[in-house]
Amino acid sequence: MSSKVYIAGLGIISAIGNNVAECFAAMENEQAGMNNITYLKTIHANEIPVAEVKLSNDALALKTGLSNKISRTALLSLLAAKEAINDASINIHDCRTGFISANTVGGIDKTENFFEAHFKYNAQTNLHDIINHECGKITELVADKLNINAYTTTISTACSSSANSIMLAARLIKANMLDVAVAGGVDALTKFTLNGFNTLLILDKEYCKPFDENRNGLNLGEGAGYVVLVSEKVASTLKKEMYCELKGYANANDAYHQTASSPDGKGSYLAMQKALHAANLKTTDIDYINLHGTGTNNNDLAEGTAIERLFKPAYPKMSSTKSYTGHTLGASGGIEAVFSALAIKHKIIYPNLRLQTPIKDFPFSAEKKLLKNQPVNNVLSNSFGFGGNCSSLIFSKI
Amino acid sequence: MYKNNKQLFVEKADTIQSFLLAVYQFLKIDYPKFYKMDNLSKLGFLASEVLLKEQNLNFAPEEIGLVLTNANASLDADIKYFQSTKQMASPALFVYTLPNIVMGEICIRNKFKGENSFFVFEDFNADFLVNYVSDLFNNNIYELCICGWIDVVQEDYTAALFLVSNNKAAEALLFTKENMNKLFKSAATK
Repeated sequence: MSSKVYIAGLGIISAIGNNVAECFAAMENEQAGMNNITYLKTIHANEIPVAEVKLSNDALALKTGLSNKISRTALLSLLAAKEAINDASINIHDCRTGFISANTVGGIDKTENFFEAHFKYNAQTNLHDIINHECGKITELVADKLNINAYTTTISTACSSSANSIMLAARLIKANMLDVAVAGGVDALTKFTLNGFNTLLILDKEYCKPFDENRNGLNLGEGAGYVVLVSEKVASTLKKEMYCELKGYANANDAYHQTASSPDGKGSYLAMQKALHAANLKTTDIDYINLHGTGTNNNDLAEGTAIERLFKPAYPKMSSTKSYTGHTLGASGGIEAVFSALAIKHKIIYPNLRLQTPIKDFPFSAEKKLLKNQPVNNVLSNSFGFGGNCSSLIFSKI
Repeated sequence: MYKNNKQLFVEKADTIQSFLLAVYQFLKIDYPKFYKMDNLSKLGFLASEVLLKEQNLNFAPEEIGLVLTNANASLDADIKYFQSTKQMASPALFVYTLPNIVMGEICIRNKFKGENSFFVFEDFNADFLVNYVSDLFNNNIYELCICGWIDVVQEDYTAALFLVSNNKAAEALLFTKENMNKLFKSAATK
């Protein structure tokens, strides 16, 4: 049994950078990753802004050693997972290492183009384009490349997916089933998700403005984010300093609507409250909330209402880093776990970009400016998904 | 349709649609949202209605959790949504293109607010369910758990749900891999 779980390594790729150093520099320089659509082939290219990773599949293939024909989801995942393992400087084959990776689109990026060509040209299409369609295949492809075989699994619970994979990884380590776990998630942009969110009328045609009174929806993003979680025993053998401890985590169901959050944010409230309880912390111990903050009217209202109920009257600093990376769906919990660990390490609070008018109903506001030299001891990171699936993680300074 | 090895209902329906509707009518449920659901949600919803019927659930909403599994995630809804995009992408179909929506539907119906997870396996994996759910019970994550298998691809479907608790009820079986496999096999072959 390991009573504590630590974060030993970080890996990320997103619209604001291809690795941790680039992403962190963009965060400090307040550079958002949204732009016109470049790589995804869609009729919405000049109409809906997205936060795309600034590398083609060819460039990603060169960096990872995978084929450029393989799903972009696997390419992004492998790049970020490799970075996390290198950063942890652990020989993952010396211990029981698991790979727990979330995604929601699987290989749909290939499938959706396959079908178009298939029906147009009939048999002249390549069936290899659809064999990695399902979410689990992406995890398997990457696990094979990483040579991880002690334990691999895929979680797909919409936008809370990768927060849940980090939670599962922590539990497996605490239950002494694993020593080390590479946990997080990935999602590539696809027409499937872009069109789907577009039909729900929740895509902002401008750059998104989370937690702003005049917010008008989300921007979709893509990327991958992984943390390397280690047991106390493994941590004690490593020479490098741990980023932080994963002190608390919880999941709850909002039980309100398939896609919308309840007006009082019951599920978000329960997830945050139960995570605090698991971490044995009070609300006043939290220094920063990395908001789910998608920028939709409904999410920000529900999340803010839950924060008001739970934290009243003393509110921690908070911001939505989706104002930089867009909403990366199944990757968002992993990407934001990396940002949370970096906030603790660098004593920094990220700004909520483009925030002009804080939501009038709330007695608090997200941060407008980057803050340095802050006491960041405990970070609460929220991830809420369709199906009412709400998760909160708490990262704590050691 | 079986509950605790007892046959409750038989319907030789031609399509999954008409079977699910027949079960809905047989159970005399008044829940119009049913008609809006995709087949995976309908199947899971009906299985949970049968499972929970006449059950006295004396727990707080946040003490009741769900752990579901299947082989085909939301493929059935994905196909239908994808077909709709040829005319006009349907938001009503898109919202079902995730496997965990069925859990959301069960939670909405019963006001459950406990922890939810959904896992995809090639086959029914009793070993995993017993380990995972037992670990959550041992860590006091919940008092009652609905776990099992809900799988649909077009006309091929199976649902098997188990109600797990710490309190031994009169007819209860021990929560073991062997008991689950036995129940699953007997349900799936009937």
